[in-house]
Amino acid sequence: MLDKFANYLKERLAITDEQAMQAVSCLNIKKYKKGQKVLNAGDLRSDAFFVNSGLLRCFSIDEKGKEHIIQFAPENWMLTERDSSVFNMPSAFYIDAIEDTEVVVIKKDFFPGIKNIVPEILELNILMLHNSIRFMQKRINMLLSASAEERYLNFINLYPNLTLRVPQWMIASYLGITPESLSRVRKDLANKHFR
Amino acid sequence: MKKVKQVAAVLNPPAPHMVGNGFRVHNFFPSGYKINMSPFFMLDYNAKIEFAARQQPRGVGVHPHRGFETVTIAYHGAVAHHDSAGNSGVIYPGDVQWMTAASGILHKEYHEEEFSKKGGLFQMVQLWVNLPAKHKMSAPKYQGIKQSDLQKFALPNDMGSIEVIAGNYKDNAGSVSTFSPIEMYNARLKRGAETDFDFPAYFNTGFIVIEGSIVVNGKENAATDQMVYFANDGELIELTALENSIILVLSGAPINEPIASYGPFLMNKPEEIQQAIADYNEGKFGYLAD
Repeated sequence: MLDKFANYLKERLAITDEQAMQAVSCLNIKKYKKGQKVLNAGDLRSDAFFVNSGLLRCFSIDEKGKEHIIQFAPENWMLTERDSSVFNMPSAFYIDAIEDTEVVVIKKDFFPGIKNIVPEILELNILMLHNSIRFMQKRINMLLSASAEERYLNFINLYPNLTLRVPQWMIASYLGITPESLSRVRKDLANKHFR
Repeated sequence: MKKVKQVAAVLNPPAPHMVGNGFRVHNFFPSGYKINMSPFFMLDYNAKIEFAARQQPRGVGVHPHRGFETVTIAYHGAVAHHDSAGNSGVIYPGDVQWMTAASGILHKEYHEEEFSKKGGLFQMVQLWVNLPAKHKMSAPKYQGIKQSDLQKFALPNDMGSIEVIAGNYKDNAGSVSTFSPIEMYNARLKRGAETDFDFPAYFNTGFIVIEGSIVVNGKENAATDQMVYFANDGELIELTALENSIILVLSGAPINEPIASYGPFLMNKPEEIQQAIADYNEGKFGYLAD
Protein backbone atom coordinates (compact mmCIF):
# COMPACT_ATOMS: atom_id res chain seq x y z
CA MET A 1 0.00 0.00 0.00
CA LEU A 2 1.66 3.18 -1.21
CA ASP A 3 -1.24 5.60 -0.54
CA LYS A 4 -0.01 6.56 2.91
CA PHE A 5 3.41 7.62 1.69
CA ALA A 6 1.79 9.43 -1.27
CA ASN A 7 -0.39 11.30 1.26
CA TYR A 8 2.67 12.04 3.38
CA LEU A 9 4.28 13.74 0.36
CA LYS A 10 1.05 15.51 -0.62
CA GLU A 11 0.70 17.01 2.86
CA ARG A 12 4.17 18.51 2.51
CA LEU A 13 4.27 19.50 -1.17
CA ALA A 14 1.94 21.38 -3.51
CA ILE A 15 1.40 18.41 -5.85
CA THR A 16 -1.59 16.65 -7.39
CA ASP A 17 -2.81 13.15 -6.47
CA GLU A 18 -1.49 11.97 -9.81
CA GLN A 19 2.00 13.36 -9.25
CA ALA A 20 2.11 11.87 -5.78
CA MET A 21 1.08 8.40 -6.99
CA GLN A 22 3.52 8.61 -9.90
CA ALA A 23 6.34 9.59 -7.54
CA VAL A 24 5.79 6.62 -5.22
CA SER A 25 5.00 4.05 -7.91
CA CYS A 26 8.62 2.88 -8.09
CA LEU A 27 8.74 1.99 -4.38
CA ASN A 28 8.32 -1.40 -2.76
CA ILE A 29 6.44 -2.54 0.31
CA LYS A 30 7.94 -4.93 2.81
CA LYS A 31 6.34 -6.69 5.76
CA TYR A 32 8.06 -7.68 9.00
CA LYS A 33 6.73 -9.94 11.74
CA LYS A 34 6.75 -8.82 15.36
CA GLY A 35 10.29 -9.30 16.70
CA GLN A 36 11.87 -9.63 13.24
CA LYS A 37 15.18 -7.82 12.56
CA VAL A 38 15.02 -5.21 9.82
CA LEU A 39 18.69 -4.22 10.02
CA ASN A 40 21.60 -5.63 11.99
CA ALA A 41 24.53 -3.60 13.26
CA GLY A 42 27.30 -4.11 10.70
CA ASP A 43 24.90 -4.50 7.76
CA LEU A 44 25.33 -2.49 4.60
CA ARG A 45 21.93 -1.52 3.32
CA SER A 46 20.99 1.60 1.42
CA ASP A 47 17.36 1.79 2.51
CA ALA A 48 15.30 4.18 4.60
CA PHE A 49 11.86 3.18 5.86
CA PHE A 50 8.47 4.84 5.95
CA VAL A 51 6.16 3.02 8.37
CA ASN A 52 2.70 2.30 6.91
CA SER A 53 1.50 0.34 9.93
CA GLY A 54 3.07 -1.17 13.01
CA LEU A 55 6.12 0.00 14.92
CA LEU A 56 9.90 -0.08 14.41
CA ARG A 57 12.66 0.74 16.85
CA CYS A 58 16.27 1.68 16.21
CA PHE A 59 18.71 0.68 18.97
CA SER A 60 22.26 -0.15 19.95
CA ILE A 61 23.54 -2.94 22.19
CA ASP A 62 26.39 -2.13 24.56
CA GLU A 63 29.25 -4.37 25.73
CA LYS A 64 27.16 -5.65 28.63
CA GLY A 65 24.38 -6.65 26.28
CA LYS A 66 22.10 -3.78 27.34
CA GLU A 67 19.88 -2.24 24.66
CA HIS A 68 19.62 1.53 24.19
CA ILE A 69 16.72 2.75 22.10
CA ILE A 70 17.56 5.68 19.81
CA GLN A 71 14.18 6.10 18.15
CA PHE A 72 10.71 4.62 17.85
CA ALA A 73 8.99 4.85 14.46
CA PRO A 74 5.21 4.27 14.55
CA GLU A 75 2.80 4.84 11.63
CA ASN A 76 3.67 7.78 9.37
CA TRP A 77 7.23 8.07 10.71
CA MET A 78 10.44 7.76 8.68
CA LEU A 79 13.38 5.78 10.04
CA THR A 80 16.87 6.03 8.55
CA GLU A 81 20.14 4.50 9.76
CA ARG A 82 22.56 6.89 8.09
CA ASP A 83 25.88 5.05 8.31
CA SER A 84 24.58 2.31 6.06
CA SER A 85 21.98 4.16 4.00
CA VAL A 86 23.99 7.31 3.23
CA PHE A 87 27.68 6.69 3.89
CA ASN A 88 28.05 3.09 2.70
CA MET A 89 29.44 2.13 6.08
CA PRO A 90 28.42 -0.80 8.26
CA SER A 91 25.31 0.11 10.24
CA ALA A 92 25.95 1.37 13.78
CA PHE A 93 22.47 0.42 14.94
CA TYR A 94 19.92 -2.35 14.88
CA ILE A 95 16.36 -1.93 13.66
CA ASP A 96 13.61 -4.38 14.52
CA ALA A 97 9.82 -4.60 14.44
CA ILE A 98 8.05 -4.27 17.81
CA GLU A 99 4.72 -5.14 16.17
CA ASP A 100 3.81 -6.73 12.84
CA THR A 101 4.92 -3.89 10.59
CA GLU A 102 4.51 -2.82 6.97
CA VAL A 103 7.06 -0.37 5.56
CA VAL A 104 7.68 1.44 2.32
CA VAL A 105 11.34 0.84 1.42
CA ILE A 106 12.95 4.06 0.24
CA LYS A 107 16.11 3.56 -1.77
CA LYS A 108 18.96 6.05 -1.59
CA ASP A 109 18.29 7.27 -5.14
CA PHE A 110 14.55 7.81 -4.60
CA PHE A 111 14.62 11.56 -3.96
CA PRO A 112 17.00 12.50 -6.83
CA GLY A 113 15.20 9.99 -9.06
CA ILE A 114 11.80 11.67 -8.91
CA LYS A 115 12.92 15.28 -9.21
CA ASN A 116 11.65 15.35 -12.78
CA ILE A 117 8.14 14.47 -11.60
CA VAL A 118 8.26 16.54 -8.39
CA PRO A 119 10.97 19.22 -8.59
CA GLU A 120 10.30 20.39 -5.00
CA ILE A 121 11.23 16.97 -3.62
CA LEU A 122 14.88 17.87 -3.02
CA GLU A 123 13.88 20.87 -0.94
CA LEU A 124 11.51 18.66 1.03
CA ASN A 125 14.29 16.16 1.61
CA ILE A 126 16.49 18.94 3.04
CA LEU A 127 13.64 20.20 5.22
CA MET A 128 13.06 16.68 6.52
CA LEU A 129 16.75 16.39 7.32
CA HIS A 130 16.68 19.67 9.25
CA ASN A 131 13.61 18.47 11.09
CA SER A 132 15.37 15.29 12.02
CA ILE A 133 18.43 17.21 13.27
CA ARG A 134 16.18 19.54 15.28
CA PHE A 135 14.50 16.50 16.83
CA MET A 136 17.88 14.98 17.73
CA GLN A 137 19.14 18.28 19.23
CA LYS A 138 16.11 18.44 21.50
CA ARG A 139 16.60 14.82 22.41
CA ILE A 140 20.28 15.39 23.32
CA ASN A 141 19.27 18.36 25.45
CA MET A 142 16.63 16.25 27.23
CA LEU A 143 19.15 13.50 27.98
CA LEU A 144 21.69 16.00 29.32
CA SER A 145 19.50 18.31 31.32
CA ALA A 146 15.98 17.08 32.04
CA SER A 147 14.64 15.20 35.05
CA ALA A 148 13.15 11.73 34.61
CA GLU A 149 9.65 13.23 34.94
CA GLU A 150 10.33 15.90 32.30
CA ARG A 151 11.66 13.24 29.92
CA TYR A 152 8.56 11.10 30.46
CA LEU A 153 6.15 14.05 29.98
CA ASN A 154 7.98 14.97 26.78
CA PHE A 155 7.72 11.34 25.61
CA ILE A 156 3.95 11.02 26.16
CA ASN A 157 3.50 14.27 24.29
CA LEU A 158 5.54 13.03 21.33
CA TYR A 159 4.32 9.42 21.28
CA PRO A 160 0.94 9.44 23.12
CA ASN A 161 -0.11 5.84 22.45
CA LEU A 162 3.27 4.11 22.74
CA THR A 163 2.75 3.65 26.48
CA LEU A 164 0.05 1.16 25.47
CA ARG A 165 2.17 -0.53 22.80
CA VAL A 166 5.64 -1.08 24.20
CA PRO A 167 6.85 -2.55 27.49
CA GLN A 168 7.97 -0.20 30.27
CA TRP A 169 11.63 -1.21 29.96
CA MET A 170 11.72 0.02 26.35
CA ILE A 171 10.34 3.41 27.35
CA ALA A 172 12.91 3.56 30.17
CA SER A 173 15.65 2.63 27.69
CA TYR A 174 14.56 5.39 25.29
CA LEU A 175 14.48 7.91 28.16
CA GLY A 176 17.90 6.86 29.48
CA ILE A 177 16.52 6.03 32.93
CA THR A 178 16.08 2.77 34.82
CA PRO A 179 12.72 0.94 34.72
CA GLU A 180 12.54 1.60 38.49
CA SER A 181 12.82 5.39 37.93
CA LEU A 182 10.12 5.23 35.28
CA SER A 183 7.89 3.32 37.65
CA ARG A 184 8.55 5.97 40.33
CA VAL A 185 7.72 8.79 37.91
CA ARG A 186 4.44 7.12 36.98
CA LYS A 187 3.62 6.51 40.64
CA ASP A 188 4.33 10.18 41.49
CA LEU A 189 2.11 11.34 38.62
CA ALA A 190 -0.66 9.03 39.78
CA ASN A 191 -0.38 10.42 43.32
CA LYS A 192 -0.64 13.95 41.91
CA HIS A 193 -3.47 13.29 39.46
CA PHE A 194 -5.50 10.33 40.68
CA ARG A 195 -9.02 11.54 41.69
CA MET B 1 -47.26 -16.13 19.69
CA LYS B 2 -43.56 -16.64 20.30
CA LYS B 3 -41.34 -18.02 17.57
CA VAL B 4 -38.17 -20.08 17.51
CA LYS B 5 -34.90 -18.14 17.58
CA GLN B 6 -33.09 -19.71 14.63
CA VAL B 7 -29.43 -20.59 14.55
CA ALA B 8 -27.69 -18.17 12.16
CA ALA B 9 -24.33 -19.96 12.21
CA VAL B 10 -22.27 -22.54 14.06
CA LEU B 11 -18.79 -21.05 14.23
CA ASN B 12 -15.47 -22.83 14.60
CA PRO B 13 -12.92 -21.29 16.95
CA PRO B 14 -10.65 -18.91 14.98
CA ALA B 15 -6.85 -19.44 15.08
CA PRO B 16 -5.54 -18.78 18.61
CA HIS B 17 -3.15 -16.05 19.73
CA MET B 18 -1.40 -15.35 23.02
CA VAL B 19 -2.53 -12.62 25.41
CA GLY B 20 0.58 -11.93 27.48
CA ASN B 21 2.19 -15.33 28.03
CA GLY B 22 -0.66 -16.79 30.09
CA PHE B 23 -3.72 -16.95 27.87
CA ARG B 24 -3.98 -18.77 24.56
CA VAL B 25 -7.23 -17.45 23.18
CA HIS B 26 -9.54 -17.87 20.22
CA ASN B 27 -11.19 -14.52 19.58
CA PHE B 28 -14.74 -15.24 18.37
CA PHE B 29 -15.48 -11.51 18.01
CA PRO B 30 -14.88 -8.75 17.07
CA SER B 31 -11.77 -9.86 15.11
CA GLY B 32 -12.59 -13.56 14.56
CA TYR B 33 -16.09 -13.13 13.17
CA LYS B 34 -17.90 -9.92 12.24
CA ILE B 35 -21.06 -10.71 14.19
CA ASN B 36 -23.21 -8.31 16.15
CA MET B 37 -23.16 -9.48 19.77
CA SER B 38 -23.65 -6.05 21.39
CA PRO B 39 -23.67 -5.44 24.38
CA PHE B 40 -20.87 -8.03 24.32
CA PHE B 41 -17.98 -6.33 22.51
CA MET B 42 -15.29 -8.98 22.68
CA LEU B 43 -15.03 -12.67 23.50
CA ASP B 44 -11.68 -14.38 24.05
CA TYR B 45 -12.00 -18.12 24.58
CA ASN B 46 -9.04 -19.96 26.06
CA ALA B 47 -9.91 -23.50 24.95
CA LYS B 48 -8.72 -26.32 27.19
CA ILE B 49 -4.94 -26.45 27.18
CA GLU B 50 -2.27 -28.00 29.40
CA PHE B 51 0.19 -25.51 30.88
CA ALA B 52 3.53 -26.88 32.11
CA ALA B 53 4.54 -26.18 35.71
CA ARG B 54 6.31 -22.85 36.15
CA GLN B 55 7.74 -21.00 39.16
CA GLN B 56 7.08 -17.54 37.71
CA PRO B 57 3.34 -17.37 36.96
CA ARG B 58 2.32 -16.66 33.37
CA GLY B 59 -0.13 -13.88 32.69
CA VAL B 60 -0.68 -10.30 31.59
CA GLY B 61 1.06 -7.39 33.30
CA VAL B 62 -0.42 -4.07 34.39
CA HIS B 63 -2.71 -2.53 31.76
CA PRO B 64 -5.59 -0.03 31.78
CA HIS B 65 -9.26 -0.26 30.79
CA ARG B 66 -11.96 2.38 30.38
CA GLY B 67 -15.55 2.41 29.14
CA PHE B 68 -16.64 -1.20 29.67
CA GLU B 69 -16.63 -4.25 31.95
CA THR B 70 -14.41 -7.32 31.81
CA VAL B 71 -15.98 -10.62 32.77
CA THR B 72 -13.77 -13.63 33.42
CA ILE B 73 -15.26 -17.10 33.83
CA ALA B 74 -13.02 -19.99 34.83
CA TYR B 75 -13.56 -23.63 33.84
CA HIS B 76 -10.11 -25.12 34.54
CA GLY B 77 -7.08 -23.63 36.28
CA ALA B 78 -6.97 -20.53 38.48
CA VAL B 79 -6.32 -16.84 37.80
CA ALA B 80 -5.19 -14.23 40.32
CA HIS B 81 -6.25 -10.65 39.80
CA HIS B 82 -5.16 -7.29 41.25
CA ASP B 83 -6.41 -3.83 40.35
CA SER B 84 -5.62 -0.19 41.11
CA ALA B 85 -8.88 0.20 43.08
CA GLY B 86 -7.37 -2.18 45.64
CA ASN B 87 -9.40 -5.24 44.68
CA SER B 88 -7.82 -8.63 44.35
CA GLY B 89 -8.97 -12.20 44.22
CA VAL B 90 -8.52 -15.63 42.72
CA ILE B 91 -10.92 -17.05 40.17
CA TYR B 92 -11.22 -20.83 40.49
CA PRO B 93 -13.17 -23.20 38.21
CA GLY B 94 -16.84 -22.21 38.19
CA ASP B 95 -16.17 -18.74 39.63
CA VAL B 96 -16.94 -15.48 37.87
CA GLN B 97 -15.21 -12.15 38.12
CA TRP B 98 -17.15 -9.14 36.88
CA MET B 99 -14.95 -6.03 36.84
CA THR B 100 -16.49 -2.71 35.91
CA ALA B 101 -13.60 -0.63 34.58
CA ALA B 102 -15.94 2.28 33.70
CA SER B 103 -14.00 5.58 34.24
CA GLY B 104 -10.70 3.76 34.45
CA ILE B 105 -8.76 1.07 36.20
CA LEU B 106 -5.37 -0.62 36.00
CA HIS B 107 -5.23 -4.35 36.50
CA LYS B 108 -3.07 -7.42 36.03
CA GLU B 109 -4.04 -11.05 35.63
CA TYR B 110 -1.75 -13.99 36.31
CA HIS B 111 -2.08 -17.72 36.79
CA GLU B 112 -2.57 -18.28 40.51
CA GLU B 113 0.76 -19.18 42.13
CA GLU B 114 -0.04 -22.72 43.30
CA PHE B 115 -1.65 -23.57 39.97
CA SER B 116 1.37 -22.19 38.14
CA LYS B 117 3.80 -24.26 40.21
CA LYS B 118 1.86 -27.47 39.57
CA GLY B 119 0.75 -26.72 36.01
CA GLY B 120 -2.29 -28.40 34.52
CA LEU B 121 -5.45 -27.91 32.51
CA PHE B 122 -6.51 -24.34 31.85
CA GLN B 123 -9.75 -23.12 30.31
CA MET B 124 -11.29 -19.65 30.59
CA VAL B 125 -13.57 -17.15 28.90
CA GLN B 126 -13.01 -13.42 29.00
CA LEU B 127 -15.73 -11.10 27.78
CA TRP B 128 -15.78 -7.36 27.35
CA VAL B 129 -19.24 -6.02 28.08
CA ASN B 130 -19.91 -2.54 26.70
CA LEU B 131 -21.40 0.14 28.94
CA PRO B 132 -24.12 2.59 27.87
CA ALA B 133 -22.62 6.06 27.25
CA LYS B 134 -24.15 7.48 30.43
CA HIS B 135 -22.33 4.87 32.57
CA LYS B 136 -18.94 4.85 30.83
CA MET B 137 -17.42 7.32 33.30
CA SER B 138 -19.05 5.92 36.43
CA ALA B 139 -16.89 4.65 39.31
CA PRO B 140 -15.06 1.34 38.90
CA LYS B 141 -16.61 -1.66 40.63
CA TYR B 142 -15.68 -5.26 41.32
CA GLN B 143 -17.96 -8.26 41.75
CA GLY B 144 -16.31 -11.61 42.47
CA ILE B 145 -18.72 -14.53 42.73
CA LYS B 146 -17.80 -18.02 43.88
CA GLN B 147 -19.49 -20.89 42.06
CA SER B 148 -21.09 -21.99 45.34
CA ASP B 149 -22.77 -18.58 45.65
CA LEU B 150 -24.24 -18.55 42.14
CA GLN B 151 -28.02 -18.84 41.96
CA LYS B 152 -28.91 -22.21 40.41
CA PHE B 153 -31.94 -23.63 38.69
CA ALA B 154 -32.00 -27.42 39.05
CA LEU B 155 -33.25 -29.32 36.00
CA PRO B 156 -35.92 -31.96 36.72
CA ASN B 157 -34.76 -35.55 37.33
CA ASP B 158 -31.28 -34.46 38.38
CA MET B 159 -30.32 -33.73 34.77
CA GLY B 160 -28.08 -30.80 35.64
CA SER B 161 -28.41 -27.14 36.49
CA ILE B 162 -28.44 -23.65 35.06
CA GLU B 163 -26.10 -21.33 36.98
CA VAL B 164 -27.42 -17.81 36.64
CA ILE B 165 -24.51 -15.35 36.48
CA ALA B 166 -26.59 -12.38 35.29
CA GLY B 167 -30.21 -11.80 34.32
CA ASN B 168 -33.02 -14.10 35.33
CA TYR B 169 -33.67 -17.72 34.42
CA LYS B 170 -37.12 -19.10 35.32
CA ASP B 171 -37.43 -16.76 38.33
CA ASN B 172 -33.86 -17.27 39.50
CA ALA B 173 -32.15 -13.88 39.53
CA GLY B 174 -28.47 -13.71 38.66
CA SER B 175 -25.83 -12.78 41.18
CA VAL B 176 -24.30 -9.73 39.48
CA SER B 177 -25.82 -6.36 38.75
CA THR B 178 -25.48 -5.04 35.19
CA PHE B 179 -25.88 -1.63 33.53
CA SER B 180 -28.01 -2.92 30.63
CA PRO B 181 -30.23 -6.01 30.20
CA ILE B 182 -27.93 -9.05 30.07
CA GLU B 183 -28.57 -12.77 30.47
CA MET B 184 -25.52 -14.91 31.21
CA TYR B 185 -25.63 -18.52 32.41
CA ASN B 186 -23.49 -21.61 32.66
CA ALA B 187 -25.72 -24.51 31.65
CA ARG B 188 -24.24 -27.69 33.17
CA LEU B 189 -26.15 -30.51 31.52
CA LYS B 190 -26.10 -34.26 31.83
CA ARG B 191 -26.30 -36.43 28.75
CA GLY B 192 -29.83 -36.34 27.38
CA ALA B 193 -30.83 -33.23 29.37
CA GLU B 194 -33.30 -30.94 27.65
CA THR B 195 -33.79 -27.31 28.50
CA ASP B 196 -35.11 -24.15 26.92
CA PHE B 197 -34.53 -20.41 26.88
CA ASP B 198 -36.73 -17.44 26.12
CA PHE B 199 -34.99 -14.18 25.14
CA PRO B 200 -36.53 -11.18 23.34
CA ALA B 201 -36.02 -11.44 19.56
CA TYR B 202 -33.90 -8.26 19.47
CA PHE B 203 -31.43 -9.59 22.07
CA ASN B 204 -28.13 -10.67 20.52
CA THR B 205 -27.53 -14.26 21.54
CA GLY B 206 -24.75 -16.86 21.41
CA PHE B 207 -23.73 -20.12 23.07
CA ILE B 208 -20.17 -21.28 23.61
CA VAL B 209 -19.82 -25.06 23.89
CA ILE B 210 -17.26 -25.29 26.70
CA GLU B 211 -17.59 -29.05 27.10
CA GLY B 212 -19.55 -31.81 25.36
CA SER B 213 -21.89 -31.51 22.38
CA ILE B 214 -25.43 -30.30 21.87
CA VAL B 215 -28.39 -30.10 19.51
CA VAL B 216 -30.10 -26.72 19.23
CA ASN B 217 -33.76 -26.38 18.23
CA GLY B 218 -33.80 -30.08 17.41
CA LYS B 219 -31.68 -29.74 14.28
CA GLU B 220 -28.38 -27.85 14.62
CA ASN B 221 -25.42 -29.71 16.12
CA ALA B 222 -22.54 -28.00 17.87
CA ALA B 223 -19.44 -29.56 19.42
CA THR B 224 -16.84 -28.55 22.01
CA ASP B 225 -15.19 -25.15 21.35
CA GLN B 226 -17.80 -24.07 18.77
CA MET B 227 -19.99 -21.00 19.08
CA VAL B 228 -23.68 -21.05 18.17
CA TYR B 229 -24.77 -17.63 16.91
CA PHE B 230 -28.48 -16.87 16.75
CA ALA B 231 -30.61 -14.76 14.41
CA ASN B 232 -32.85 -11.98 15.76
CA ASP B 233 -36.02 -13.62 14.44
CA GLY B 234 -37.61 -15.23 17.47
CA GLU B 235 -37.53 -15.82 21.21
CA LEU B 236 -37.42 -19.53 21.98
CA ILE B 237 -34.41 -21.84 22.00
CA GLU B 238 -34.42 -25.55 22.75
CA LEU B 239 -31.23 -27.22 23.88
CA THR B 240 -30.46 -30.93 24.17
CA ALA B 241 -27.18 -32.29 25.51
CA LEU B 242 -25.78 -35.25 23.52
CA GLU B 243 -23.27 -35.93 26.29
CA ASN B 244 -22.37 -34.31 29.60
CA SER B 245 -21.96 -30.68 28.53
CA ILE B 246 -21.22 -27.17 29.75
CA ILE B 247 -22.67 -24.33 27.71
CA LEU B 248 -22.00 -20.63 28.28
CA VAL B 249 -25.23 -18.84 27.37
CA LEU B 250 -24.99 -15.15 26.42
CA SER B 251 -27.88 -12.88 25.49
CA GLY B 252 -28.34 -9.14 25.81
CA ALA B 253 -30.06 -6.00 24.60
CA PRO B 254 -27.84 -4.28 22.03
CA ILE B 255 -26.40 -0.90 22.98
CA ASN B 256 -27.12 1.12 19.86
CA GLU B 257 -24.57 3.88 20.34
CA PRO B 258 -21.49 4.84 18.31
CA ILE B 259 -18.30 2.94 19.11
CA ALA B 260 -14.74 4.25 19.19
CA SER B 261 -12.28 1.61 20.34
CA TYR B 262 -8.53 1.59 20.72
CA GLY B 263 -6.60 -1.16 22.48
CA PRO B 264 -7.90 -1.33 26.05
CA PHE B 265 -10.41 1.54 25.72
CA LEU B 266 -14.00 1.37 24.48
CA MET B 267 -15.73 4.72 24.13
CA ASN B 268 -18.24 6.48 21.85
CA LYS B 269 -16.10 9.18 20.19
CA PRO B 270 -12.48 9.38 18.96
CA GLU B 271 -11.87 12.43 21.24
CA GLU B 272 -12.80 10.25 24.22
CA ILE B 273 -10.14 7.74 23.15
CA GLN B 274 -7.50 10.51 22.95
CA GLN B 275 -8.60 11.65 26.40
CA ALA B 276 -8.34 8.10 27.76
CA ILE B 277 -4.77 7.78 26.42
CA ALA B 278 -3.78 11.15 27.91
CA ASP B 279 -5.42 10.34 31.26
CA TYR B 280 -3.68 6.97 31.40
CA ASN B 281 -0.29 8.53 30.59
CA GLU B 282 -0.78 11.21 33.25
CA GLY B 283 -1.57 8.72 36.00
CA LYS B 284 -5.28 9.47 36.25
CA PHE B 285 -6.08 5.74 36.34
CA GLY B 286 -4.08 5.41 39.54
CA TYR B 287 -1.05 3.19 40.09
CA LEU B 288 -0.47 -0.51 40.31
CA ALA B 289 2.97 -2.07 40.76
CA ASP B 290 4.06 -4.71 38.25
